[in-house]
Amino acid sequence: MTVVEMQDLRKRYGKTVAADGMSLRVEDGEYMCILGPTGAGKTTALRMAAGLLDPDRGKVLFDGTDVTRVEPEYREAAMLSQVYSLFPHMDVNGNVMYGPRIKKWHPRESEDVAHNMLEMVHLHRRKDAMPNELSGGMQQRTALARALASGSKVLLLDEPLRALDARLRIELRREIRSLVKAMGITAIHVTHDQEEAMVIADRVAVLRKGRVEQVGTPREVFDNPLTPFVANFVGQSNFFIGKVVSSGEETVVENERGVTVRARPSPHPIGSEVAVAVKVGNTTLKLDEGFFLGRVERVLYEGVTIHVDVMAEGQRCSAKLPNRKFEEYSPGDEVTVGWPPSEAIVFALPPGGLQEELRLD
Amino acid sequence: MRFGDIYAVKDIDLVIRDGEYLTILGPSGCGKTSLIKIICGLWTPTEGRVSIDGVDVTDVPIEDRHVGYVFQNIALFPHMKVLKNVSFGPRMQGRTVEEGREIAEKSLRLVNMLERLEMFPRELSGGEQQKVSIARALASGARLMLLDEPLSALDARVRMDLRYEIRRLVKDLGITVVHVTHDQDEAMSVSDRIVVMRNGGIVETDTPMRLYRRPNNLFTAYFIGETNLMEGMVSGKDDRNLLVRLRDGTDVKVGGNRHFQVNDGVILSVRPEYVYTAKEGLHSTVLQVIYLGSYWRVVTRSNSADIVEYNIPKHREPPAIGDKVSLVFNRKMSMVYKRPREGTSEAIRLE
Repeated sequence: MTVVEMQDLRKRYGKTVAADGMSLRVEDGEYMCILGPTGAGKTTALRMAAGLLDPDRGKVLFDGTDVTRVEPEYREAAMLSQVYSLFPHMDVNGNVMYGPRIKKWHPRESEDVAHNMLEMVHLHRRKDAMPNELSGGMQQRTALARALASGSKVLLLDEPLRALDARLRIELRREIRSLVKAMGITAIHVTHDQEEAMVIADRVAVLRKGRVEQVGTPREVFDNPLTPFVANFVGQSNFFIGKVVSSGEETVVENERGVTVRARPSPHPIGSEVAVAVKVGNTTLKLDEGFFLGRVERVLYEGVTIHVDVMAEGQRCSAKLPNRKFEEYSPGDEVTVGWPPSEAIVFALPPGGLQEELRLD
Repeated sequence: MRFGDIYAVKDIDLVIRDGEYLTILGPSGCGKTSLIKIICGLWTPTEGRVSIDGVDVTDVPIEDRHVGYVFQNIALFPHMKVLKNVSFGPRMQGRTVEEGREIAEKSLRLVNMLERLEMFPRELSGGEQQKVSIARALASGARLMLLDEPLSALDARVRMDLRYEIRRLVKDLGITVVHVTHDQDEAMSVSDRIVVMRNGGIVETDTPMRLYRRPNNLFTAYFIGETNLMEGMVSGKDDRNLLVRLRDGTDVKVGGNRHFQVNDGVILSVRPEYVYTAKEGLHSTVLQVIYLGSYWRVVTRSNSADIVEYNIPKHREPPAIGDKVSLVFNRKMSMVYKRPREGTSEAIRLE
């Protein structure tokens, strides 16, 4: 019901630049994830959208209307944070009814809304419980029901699953998405967890150093990263550094030792220094098909995939392969590392060096 | 170990092998932290004994057990530089300043933090601080290391890199490790064996591969990795297969499991990668299609409301939402469990 726009937002805390020209448009009814490492400015972005923080410069628009200076309570945006922020002296029902009550809805209507919300988060049987009688997951579901019961058109979620156990996070992220989708509201969800973002979002905005580095569907961000950072942050990547030796339907890159690899077409001129990025899930380890030799260091059974570490060309690279291949590799085995050229992306070698570009924190 | 009338852990029998990487995995409140506190000597058990290398240490205080620990909340001394933090243990053991420095440098090199020697903890990122904590535990010379949720406070992506680094390091050094976590992906990546805990007891203990492929327990099947759970009834059997009738009447052939009898109430568990589409099978409707990078995940609902998920390769065209599909299951990779008396949702409840 609401389009949310952030236009060139800037925010500084002393010397730290938390938002450095952040722009993002979230469509009506869209589920947007803001994904990035600690310190990227994710929470700053969300708090500016909520009205809890004034930007130094830039605008926040709701449905085209400038709300940059509008107080939070008039924005019709509800916030769900990572710590369970329930009123400890109110029972579950009282917490959920809080929004409707201060908005002075008819008591009967408020009761109905609260009941519906609690039913949707499967807590209607616990409506008389006090927050301290509930588990962490139940508290967070109550907080979600409370946020949605207020009739807000925008839901802002600040790492809502961070404090929960890993398995519970998987259960709850599905519930959140289906609830938000069922109600048709616009959601902006901040997370450091790329898997969570991939599963829950319609589109993902990757944030880094106070700027939006890339916005796209989970598939676009995963398959067509615009920077080496995004390539490595959203799913791990292996990198191969060298110079472009030929360009055309494929880019051929050669390293100092004369090893050549092939990748997608790219605009980088012959002779320029580049880094070729390949997702670990697209990296192959075969007997004689590929680009260079390596030796298997270890093989880990991780469930749906196996993780194989290989020392090759003086560096470690990894491959994630289907679990049925577990018995095919042992430490010490010689393998050929390769990939489909269509899955390898060529980036200009970052000026500050690749290590610095990939830094996660 | 008991608090009042409540057992934090009960009837725990566990042998950790020399040089083994053992992970204790379970949801919050399962007793895993109590167990590691008993192993390291922070707590004394109400009943039972702990021994290290055959020597009973149940009554030996924590400082004399020669174990290294790393905790979730990074516990470096904030007023000391990295070097001093790491050489603190050796110095307390009576080493000279030079010896302490040498040991500290050696362990910092192992975690790739040597160049941070002169920094204060607050100048480091969370992941770097946790690496220094590991170096400090190594510097004490302990041959047994206890890691209590060492990665939980870190970002997901940092956790992913660090777990491989920790595994590599302790395996190269041949140290015995007990690692506590609630994160099943983490446990799968680092462990030689995993102890699955719930409600203060051990559910089962095995290698990551066995726990994923052949979990003995319904809870493990659900807790580790992802699985589809469907209620059914044994409708037939021969000497090689079991026939399970799902709620909508579809019969599914499952290998093995000969101890079940016809009419037994069962739960069928099949991981998404062992579900395929076929001409005839469990009739289902596509609810959602999710791109997961290496493959598509398709979420479906059967006519009897069983939610079944399966994977298809990324280069294949996924079905559209609302499409009808027929699903079949890999006969060898399907598991069957007795239907729990307390109900399926109670048997797999996480908290």
